[in-house]
Amino acid sequence: MAERNKMNIEVPQGVDRLRVEHKKVVQGCEGQIHHWVKVKGDYETLEDRLKTLPDQVSYDIMVPFGPLAFMPGKLVHTNEITVLLGDNWFAKCSAKQAQKLVEHRKKHVNSALDDLHKTRKDFEARVGFTEDLEKLSGAKGDYVDIREEVGSIEEMVSKGKQRVALKPHSKPKMEVVVKIEEEEEEEDEEGSGEGDGGSRRVLSEEELWARLDELEAQEEQEEEHHRRFDSADTNGNDDTTSSEEEKEGDSGSHHCVNGHDERSKGRAFVPHNGSQLNSTAQSTRDGEEEEDEAEEEEGDCLPTIYFSHTVEPKKVRINTGKNTMLKFSELKEQKQQAKRKKKNGTSNGHSHHGLHNITTPTDLYRLFVDVKNGEPIPRKSILKSRSRESSVCSDTSESSAADFEERRTFGRTLSHDENTHSDTSDGITEEDSPTGVLLHPTSSFQAFSGTVVEKEPILLSIPQFTIALPALPTIPERKLEEVAPEAPQDAPKRVSKFKAARLQQK
Amino acid sequence: MAEAIQKKLQSELEKYQQMQKDVSKSMSARQKLEAQVTENNIVKEELDLLDTQNTVYKLIGPVLVKQDLEEAKATVAKRLEYINGEIQRYETLLKDMEKKSDQHREVLSSLQQEYQRAQGLAVGKV
Repeated sequence: MAERNKMNIEVPQGVDRLRVEHKKVVQGCEGQIHHWVKVKGDYETLEDRLKTLPDQVSYDIMVPFGPLAFMPGKLVHTNEITVLLGDNWFAKCSAKQAQKLVEHRKKHVNSALDDLHKTRKDFEARVGFTEDLEKLSGAKGDYVDIREEVGSIEEMVSKGKQRVALKPHSKPKMEVVVKIEEEEEEEDEEGSGEGDGGSRRVLSEEELWARLDELEAQEEQEEEHHRRFDSADTNGNDDTTSSEEEKEGDSGSHHCVNGHDERSKGRAFVPHNGSQLNSTAQSTRDGEEEEDEAEEEEGDCLPTIYFSHTVEPKKVRINTGKNTMLKFSELKEQKQQAKRKKKNGTSNGHSHHGLHNITTPTDLYRLFVDVKNGEPIPRKSILKSRSRESSVCSDTSESSAADFEERRTFGRTLSHDENTHSDTSDGITEEDSPTGVLLHPTSSFQAFSGTVVEKEPILLSIPQFTIALPALPTIPERKLEEVAPEAPQDAPKRVSKFKAARLQQK
Repeated sequence: MAEAIQKKLQSELEKYQQMQKDVSKSMSARQKLEAQVTENNIVKEELDLLDTQNTVYKLIGPVLVKQDLEEAKATVAKRLEYINGEIQRYETLLKDMEKKSDQHREVLSSLQQEYQRAQGLAVGKV
């Protein structure tokens, strides 16, 4: 803070000096321009004189005699002009030739004048900029400085890998300190919204949650390294579960300032966001970064908003009344439960599963045709009532699409909300209690008010399926709501498909 | 120890200042040459505008000496070349001097640091 203040003090001084120097240059330019304009005027009168001089053979004039006297005399040889060419060279020429020379010189003068005008304009612009800069640093204007503190490098590295703009409109993740006014406004709004929440932090509890978040983040990182997901989010968000870890807010790899990113983060994980976030709109997802460090106003410098990017986990954001994100780990789910954030999520994403591909036709069949359960439900016909969808994707996990498929394979006649794509981990969590989900529609859920996201291609979700199987995380909410809680949440990451199917069918 | 460093510092400082002066002198000479170049260019162009019918004079002291147009053109061209050559020479000279002055600056700064350290030690000792 002190450093910032010092810098702020130095900056205006430097800026001031810069401005002064710029102004000096501008003034110098103006002086030169004056001079050259005068010269040009002189040449023009000379030209006129040259034109009229040869009109008469001789003129009667008063010849100056010394400094104080004149004498009447005659001007003869009116057409013979001795011209100083420069550098002690003279030439005797006629009036017309002299005129030509004068024209030639005028050209020079004009070009010099143009240059001077240009430089003057440039420097005037620069003066304007430095004045703006001064205003900026003095926090007098409407500028808001948005700063992001970069977190751990490791996370960033992992994030960076995930950050691949696979979609045309997905944005590569950037961690940038951005000073964009539009975003400023956004940030301002968000920051102001967050400010209240920040004041209500309960530190001790938050510390715990923070610790939980860290652990989860580590888990996810490992998973990620395992899976190597590619982020296929439209927003170019990071795919994975590791994104959750980012939510801590310290390591931001994903720049969500542009956001109205559709990733609604599992706000639940950020302790201090808490209920505050519930009231905030989805668009303030990006603001969550701000939450980590509340908007700071510095009296003597620009109001600064500090935030850190966190990778948002790709989760299906279907507001199915459950405002939790499906988390792969139990911890997360519990946190979600605790933190009940409303998610107006629209699933962004495309499920990103890097690793699992369909290798045999049987995989396809398993996915697309419910052979085992004898319920061949074609993909398209899955869309059913919202309640089912919500139940399915209640966890707003991004892998909901995968979840759906999984359910299908397991004989669920769930309405497949293909819109939801979630992280594989998330999808997995949802898969755990398929039946339960079905049976318990949104009794405790809020009304669905989410937005439908376009379907994810099946292929993408297929890997989710395979991945989801082993991960049978328990969703605490589900457990609450569902009669039949599903497989243990702590299941190992990989479980054979058959076992998983068996478990699911139980 | 500190005094020795101080003396060294002083001498280096003086040398550096001398260098700076040389640099500025060369710079101003070069600027003059630049002005001459422009002037001679204009003369050349204007001579081209004239024809042999006009008489060309050269001012040598208080005397205007008649010159041949062609001769004048040649003279001016030669003078231009000469001036350009001078400019090149001055440029290389300037570069060298800049480098030397940079070196001097570094030496100076290191000496200064030493001196400050010595000062600090001396103060500590005292």
